[in-house]
Amino acid sequence: MTASPLISVRHLRKSYGGVVALDDMSIDVLPGTIHAIVGENGAGKSTLMKVLAGAVQPGGGQILRKGAPVTINSPAAARALGIGIVYQELSLFPERSVLANLFVNREPTRAGLVSLAAMEAQSRDILAALGLDVDLRAPLSRLSIGEQQLVELARVLLEEPRLLILDEPNSALNRAETDRLFAVLHGLRTRGITMLYVSHRLEEVFAISDRVTITRNGRDVLTRDTAALTMAEVIEGMIGQSREALFPPPLPRTDTTPRELCVTGLTGGRLQDISFTAHAGEIVGLAGLEGSGVGDLLALLFGTSHATAGSARYPDGSGLPRSPTQAARRGISLVPADRRHQGLMLDQSIAFNISTVAVGARNDSPLWFTQGQARKRADRQITALRIKATSGDVPANALSGGNQQKVVIGKWLEIAPEVFLLDDPTRGVDVGAKREIYTLMRKMSADGGIVLFASTELAELAGLCDRILVIYRGRLAGDVAAADMDSQRLLHLINTGTSAP
Amino acid sequence: MTTPTRRRFRLPDEIGVIVALLLLIVIIGVARPRFLNPINLFSILGNTTFLGMLALGMVFLLAIREIDLSVGWIFNFSAVLAALMMTAGINPWLCAAAGIGFGAGLGAFNGMLVVALRLPAIIITLGTYSMFQGLSLVVNRGRAVVPDRTTSNYFEVVSTKLWGVVPVAALVFVGLAIALHLLLHRTRFGYRVQAVGSNPDAARLAGIPTNWVRLQTMILMGAICGLSGVMYIGFRGAIDPNEGSDFVLVVVAAVIIGGTPLSGGYGTVIGAVVGMLIIQIISSGLIFFGIDATWSTFVTGAVIVLAVALDQLIRLQRARRGG
Repeated sequence: MTASPLISVRHLRKSYGGVVALDDMSIDVLPGTIHAIVGENGAGKSTLMKVLAGAVQPGGGQILRKGAPVTINSPAAARALGIGIVYQELSLFPERSVLANLFVNREPTRAGLVSLAAMEAQSRDILAALGLDVDLRAPLSRLSIGEQQLVELARVLLEEPRLLILDEPNSALNRAETDRLFAVLHGLRTRGITMLYVSHRLEEVFAISDRVTITRNGRDVLTRDTAALTMAEVIEGMIGQSREALFPPPLPRTDTTPRELCVTGLTGGRLQDISFTAHAGEIVGLAGLEGSGVGDLLALLFGTSHATAGSARYPDGSGLPRSPTQAARRGISLVPADRRHQGLMLDQSIAFNISTVAVGARNDSPLWFTQGQARKRADRQITALRIKATSGDVPANALSGGNQQKVVIGKWLEIAPEVFLLDDPTRGVDVGAKREIYTLMRKMSADGGIVLFASTELAELAGLCDRILVIYRGRLAGDVAAADMDSQRLLHLINTGTSAP
Repeated sequence: MTTPTRRRFRLPDEIGVIVALLLLIVIIGVARPRFLNPINLFSILGNTTFLGMLALGMVFLLAIREIDLSVGWIFNFSAVLAALMMTAGINPWLCAAAGIGFGAGLGAFNGMLVVALRLPAIIITLGTYSMFQGLSLVVNRGRAVVPDRTTSNYFEVVSTKLWGVVPVAALVFVGLAIALHLLLHRTRFGYRVQAVGSNPDAARLAGIPTNWVRLQTMILMGAICGLSGVMYIGFRGAIDPNEGSDFVLVVVAAVIIGGTPLSGGYGTVIGAVVGMLIIQIISSGLIFFGIDATWSTFVTGAVIVLAVALDQLIRLQRARRGG
């Protein structure tokens, strides 16, 4: 260690209800460095940041600034210590002008009135450095999401922080904008500003950071200079085991009837002319940036939205479902991305939730509904999916993320679907549950199901899929076979829609 | 995590309000023993019928996370229509059936607007509240409709008391309550109502035909209003142009006192019956104490605040223990 750390956290703890978010997290951030924090969803990255930003109070541990203990009990306190934070979710006011957003709550005044001219003068340099050339008096909502993200960054930079925390600041930026952002960050570093860069996109972490801390299950697993680490080491640190152990191999097929889902010229929502065929027995990945149209594809295939052109043929011989109800009755299932809002009835018991498809959607269930039936269904899935709950009477919101997701999957398995549409099924679940969900997917496939698997994590797409369909700006940019799945090329295809030169 | 309790030995969720009702009866009974006369108690039950039936239907609305403000005027309009048909000389039994069907039709009208416009029922029924009231006023010309009671045994059957004690209307009310309790907790339809009310988005994405369930629920509500209306005609022999105007608040109050949350996903029909009885006993109990009946509105309001306060306290207590 060459310099004394600017900020250190020592043995930080924080739990929400029964969920432990931080469990003995210790990190030293050296001044003038770009320090990356990597980890899977749920590793504790965002809680750590919120603690440093004063938005959340830790349950234990210490924060040191230049060796002296400090208390950050409010966002204002964090600002006073020179800590600025750029959140992944925008915290801006879409109806107000760009300028108004840049100077929220500290508008420069002239003779008691807010001075737009003073604002423009103060923000000019930073906006130029970020390459943000937009109408500063236009409402923020007119800007693209990428531009809005840069406005957010500019707002924080105007506070002249000594420690800048960035939470996936480029999640909505295109390639050129990202490059410009990285140039700005390097510029800030030469001016002596220290940065904490939180991300799970490893390619970027290697491109920008000086040091890396790997986190897992609320602890710091390892901190080292970026140059001294390989991608494989980082992945292994994040998931706590080697890749081979995380992704189960295909299971022997129990049902070898050939079935297929054939999509032709599908257009609707953001999608333009999508054609592909998915066969029983394979896992087909769906990859694309946020807003690329992957979600639209699943919505069309499940009947929540309607195609303007094109068609599909399902294994039952019919076309696109007209509604989710029809989909459910035809054995087409969807595990939605937002488990808590779209997948579950959180206040209801496991037994209630497991019955939502079999009783709620299908008309072949008896007209009488009894608790006995519901509990029998629940017990069956609790055993089959190894849901950790004492009984089917436990409410869904008392379960951990992974077990909640198993309930969502279980309610569909009750009707033995032929088509599985999985939208980011491992989002926000721990590594152990991930592996179990992967095994379930292998089983769906082995039992003759057609599995479409959308994910934002390249590692799991590469680890499970037989091939990956890449969607870029509503078009099918590529159909990548397993053999060509080295992640550089896949990443390039996802980000640009074109194969690497 | 909750402890796994064996359902068989668990007290019903309605135990709180039931105890409150019994306490209320005992307190009034000790002070004024005349109150405990079975004829008095059953007449209270009989008087509860018309509003009480509406409360039973409203349980389904709250359980599906909706609210129907127009119930009082569906009740009134159905009653007026049936009474006018009776005055025109049509068999009152047929008129009663037509009134129930008409109520269901008004419910369907509400439901179709809710589904087609994708608006909450509270907004639609805010409008149809006045539409039904206005149309009813048009057809009854602002006057009470009084059919001829001598033409049929309908009026006698509906208003009679079995063994001189138990009103038929009260029996119908209790019968309907049992049927609707089973419908909510023991059938596929009732399950779907609670599922949609728990989380409409998740229900839709689980393939539950949410629009159809909503429409069915509003038709059921309308039919219950119609039934209540035609029973009212048989019981009272006339329908006043303003009868029903103040129903909706009392009905929702009874449902909430009974323990059905406004947040949807759960409902208790038995609770609604008890809630309605509590309101009715308070207002008639006040008379026994010689307090002016106009106080009963205030007391009903106070009971609602008390009931939701207790409910919230229990919930916070549970959350603290659970966390």
